[in-house]
Amino acid sequence: MRRAGVVALNTFREAVRDRVLYNLVFFALLMIAASVAVGQISIGIEQTVIVSLGLSAISVIGLLISIFLGVALVSKEMDKRTLYTLLAKPVRRSEFLLGKFAGLVLTLAVNTAAMAMGLLLAMLYVKHSLERSDTVVLVAVYFILLKLALIVALALLFSCFTTPLLAILFTVGLYSAGLYVQELRNLPIEVMSPPMSAFTKWLSYLLPNFENFNVMAMAAHGRVVPGALILQNTLYAVVYCTIVLTAAAAVFSRRNLK
Amino acid sequence: MKSEKSIAWLLLLVVPLGFAGIWRLQHGIDAQRASISEERDEVLLRSPKLVKAMSLEYAPLLADIYWTRVVQYYGNKHLRGQANLDLLWPLLDITTALDPNLVIAYRFGAMFLSPAAPGGAGRPDLAVQLIQRGIQANPEYWRLYEDLGFVYYFDLKDYQKASAAFLEGSKKPNALVWMKIMAAKVAAEGESFETSLFLWKDIYDTSADPSVKKNALMHLQLLTVKEDCKQLDALADEYAKRHGKRPSRMSDLVQAGLVRGIPRDPLGFPYVFGEGGKAELNLDSPLLEKQLMFDRFKNVVP
Repeated sequence: MRRAGVVALNTFREAVRDRVLYNLVFFALLMIAASVAVGQISIGIEQTVIVSLGLSAISVIGLLISIFLGVALVSKEMDKRTLYTLLAKPVRRSEFLLGKFAGLVLTLAVNTAAMAMGLLLAMLYVKHSLERSDTVVLVAVYFILLKLALIVALALLFSCFTTPLLAILFTVGLYSAGLYVQELRNLPIEVMSPPMSAFTKWLSYLLPNFENFNVMAMAAHGRVVPGALILQNTLYAVVYCTIVLTAAAAVFSRRNLK
Repeated sequence: MKSEKSIAWLLLLVVPLGFAGIWRLQHGIDAQRASISEERDEVLLRSPKLVKAMSLEYAPLLADIYWTRVVQYYGNKHLRGQANLDLLWPLLDITTALDPNLVIAYRFGAMFLSPAAPGGAGRPDLAVQLIQRGIQANPEYWRLYEDLGFVYYFDLKDYQKASAAFLEGSKKPNALVWMKIMAAKVAAEGESFETSLFLWKDIYDTSADPSVKKNALMHLQLLTVKEDCKQLDALADEYAKRHGKRPSRMSDLVQAGLVRGIPRDPLGFPYVFGEGGKAELNLDSPLLEKQLMFDRFKNVVP
């Protein structure tokens, strides 16, 4: 575990050196512009617009980082031949993967936390004060982070057995499908044949349900997210990441690196 | 090699256990989401023109997707017995703007929009608007006139406009002869059991969709029940004239020779006389639940 921690810390350092956190400047500019503009162009929905825009930006920026860096975690090490040096040391392949995953999640956590701070500052500017109900925004940010961790795990899995381009396509595809899992489950049973209905139901549980983590509308309207949902979503992300990372470790341990 | 094997074993253990856990967690999350009863925004963009502009050359494909969303939205609300169908019109508006020739969207859309809850959104005015838009885009399609007449007849009770719609439709190519007969009959008689029965029977016979057929069958059965009860009440009045008191059981009518056997509803359950001496459905009849549901939503079945 200590060895995975070292890999994680180095992955984080590498991301910082690669200027990944520069996106924070973009986010800050967006928030400043939105805070100033929203008062001019809307009436009564300033907070809704700021929260929706801020959370969407956190989600999109996080998605881009998690997909592109997640896929590059393994392939970049292979391209630069640094993987061989690393694996020559007493580091198991599974530990390497776990470290890479943890490193990127740490990067995303720092990035997301900084953006959340920016969002709260923008809200403070617009509302002139923060209320207790505004903590729901932090819950929404936490859910985004859980979602991003799951995406990193998926990107890592795909990058273990295919090319970076295909891994990106697979991850984006699975993410898009995962957004419509609820729709799949809500398809009216009456309009489908029983086998099709059973198939869609099973599929809806196998696919990662990214809609679980979407509480943006609730956050925008200051509605409370139940504690049980926070716990369940956390467990969901942990269990799903465990499955995907175990599969990734199984694939990567068998991969011929010559 | 040893590490590889242990990971493979771990995978065999983690995948089934993990997905069993996911299954259970997802049920919990669904329950939580349902308890906070968030209204999911089904229509992000409400401007049909904007959606059409954004759809580039894929408008017909997008129309199909929107139409699927209409069916899902209506189906989900219907299954949960929810009467609020506020987003139905915006969805239909966008669907038909994207593909004005998607005739099914006008026909079924009007069927979803027009009847009062629980059968629909209770907006016959919007149903008329939708069908008229359909007629404008598909002027030769006579079935749309039938649907227009249907809405005027059943939901708006405007028999002159219903008759005019049937008459206009009868002039279109391939229109069936009964359209002209219906136009004359509705103009002369207004609402009648025979006309209502004929219209619902036509829906039942011509629709290929099982849920539409089921709905039409239910209306046919309730219509028959209403007519049966009306006739049984008339017979009960006749019985009262002869015997000086109203019948308390259906067998009284049989013994008086007014009916041959115990009258039964379309599902085979015998009718009974209620506390007010009026004929009504047996408590065991599944149709009673349907009838009560419609009465609850104040939708008088014609």
